Amino acid sequence: MTVINYRSTEIEKPPIDGPGFVLVSSSSRRRFGGDAILHNLARLCAGIVLAMVVVLLGVLTLSAIPSVREFGLSFLATSEWRPNELEVPVLGPDGKVVIEDGETKNETLPPKFGALPVIYGTAVSSAIALVLAVPLSFGASLFLIRIAPKFLVAPVSFLIELLAAIPSIAYGMWGLFVLAPWLQQKEQRWFDLLGHVPGLGWMFYQSLTVGGQTVQRQLPATGRDMLCGGAILGIMILPIITAISRDVLRTVPRAQLEGAVALGATWWQSSKEMLKFARSALFGAVMLGLARAAGETMAVAMVIGNNNQIVPSPLAPAQTMSSLLANEFAEASGKLHNSALVEVALVLLVMSLMFNVVARYLIVGKGGSKVAAAH
Amino acid sequence: MTVRVHDTFARWTSHAMYAMCVVAAGAIIAFLVLVSGFIAYKGATSISLDLFTKPPIANGMPGYPGGMHSAIVGTLTLIGMAGLIGVPIGILTGVYLAEYEAGSWLAAPVRFICDVLSGVPSIVVGVLGYELLVVPLGRYNAYAGASALAFIMVPLVARTTEEMLRLVPGSYREASIALGATKARTILGVVLPSVTGSIVTGVMLALARIAGETAPLLFTALGAREIHGLREPFPSLTVQIYTYATGPYAEEKRLAWAGILVLVGLVFLFNLLIRFVTRRSKPAT
Repeated sequence: MTVINYRSTEIEKPPIDGPGFVLVSSSSRRRFGGDAILHNLARLCAGIVLAMVVVLLGVLTLSAIPSVREFGLSFLATSEWRPNELEVPVLGPDGKVVIEDGETKNETLPPKFGALPVIYGTAVSSAIALVLAVPLSFGASLFLIRIAPKFLVAPVSFLIELLAAIPSIAYGMWGLFVLAPWLQQKEQRWFDLLGHVPGLGWMFYQSLTVGGQTVQRQLPATGRDMLCGGAILGIMILPIITAISRDVLRTVPRAQLEGAVALGATWWQSSKEMLKFARSALFGAVMLGLARAAGETMAVAMVIGNNNQIVPSPLAPAQTMSSLLANEFAEASGKLHNSALVEVALVLLVMSLMFNVVARYLIVGKGGSKVAAAH
Repeated sequence: MTVRVHDTFARWTSHAMYAMCVVAAGAIIAFLVLVSGFIAYKGATSISLDLFTKPPIANGMPGYPGGMHSAIVGTLTLIGMAGLIGVPIGILTGVYLAEYEAGSWLAAPVRFICDVLSGVPSIVVGVLGYELLVVPLGRYNAYAGASALAFIMVPLVARTTEEMLRLVPGSYREASIALGATKARTILGVVLPSVTGSIVTGVMLALARIAGETAPLLFTALGAREIHGLREPFPSLTVQIYTYATGPYAEEKRLAWAGILVLVGLVFLFNLLIRFVTRRSKPAT
């Protein structure tokens, strides 16, 4: 677009008086300064957008400071999330309970917060989502680019993008009332078939250490577990990965394809060449899907089972960062609890931002905004 | 393309993967049909006029469970308030990015920020709304909810406005200056009017998007049975559906399905309408 220099609006010469020429601006209109008003208003709004990001990061960081000061880096590495105080008996130097005046001496442990379970939950549910979504998305985008007849491309693309328009709670309700019961039946059958296979105990049992003893507790198969959460997330990120990879594959030069076919490649081999050519942008598309999956709240909160513990089995209820916030934030007890939750939100935010930035760089390159702008 | 391939394994792999790609596309559409079909089915069996006319009524009171009237009005109010803040800021930011980019240090970072902000999880926006607008006021209120929604809305509107403005050919602007108009008059009188339809479309899409948001409202406007005022916890359709769906009462869950049908139906209708309209009203090049 040509840069138009607006500074020279002064008309020195009188206009040519003839048919079709109209003098529009008069000197009084120019001196009104409407130009400056719009310019500054627009500049103000752009500044507001800049301020929005600064305020977002600033307010969250400020509110998370009490928790950071209390727990430091161990917040990201410990698994205990206890908003309430705990009374434990004090152990004497020989490891035995101290008894004074006929009563065990107790000490009160303050609330302790560790975010490792929710980080684990977010990571594993997003991983399950990617495993489910990426093959389907890449396959669908190859379908749209190479297989579909011309008249099918637009309707199919539209239908796939309609999946993205469904609100998150709709997915949550579908997951809670349709997918979870269905999965529960399936998981029951898996347990009947494989529950007694020696190597698969981790999938159906959870080891708990209670009072010094380690017990194997059978997982309650409610259907609302990590697998269900990952499945719902997978369905939710299908449209975004499909749309971006379709746009990315469309920019692969035809010469790549034709060259591969000229060398005798089969359909799949030439498609692989296309995928290989665009691999960094496709990786960016996957990252965007991952970022979306990690930040998704409502659907996950309804089906993940709300259990803030690390359990190796995917059939165990879990908790993600966003579902933790959705479930606990409104009833946070005390300043430290609130601050710990805000710190979790901050971690989630920073993670999302990093994924988004890296993904957009991979998709778009160092240039301006092109393909990924609309997503 | 008919290719004679002598490597049988490669040929059969290729056939298989071709079929898998078709299956993949079909599977995605199958998911769409599965999810929306079930919502339609469950919702259709529980929807009634009561949903729109009666407010939610507590268990045990006469007329239980009532409807979602206050929730629907609440959502409309919230997106109205959010639009009041978000639409002007968004459009003006889009204008800045498209028209005032030359010689400005602000444009490139702001465009980048708009892209990045649209990837912020909406629950984090809710946390921001809580810390900024609920804590000082002392209670959950509608202003915080509307502001959280506006926060989500501004980058969307800004980007679509900018893209629409960029589609306007430079000759429009040049013709306007040739006639002696100032830059402001060019933008307001020539450029913007030529893409009004598309910008309105972008705004509507953003409004539809925030109408379906739950997480930002969970701890800014919270939820309520009735509208008590803008400075009190404020009902909204999405939070009401969430509360009912995760609650223990079967009657309320039926209402939740009806509410979901209304929500998803409106969103679908909106999207269809908008795609249908924009197919014909792109600015003439």
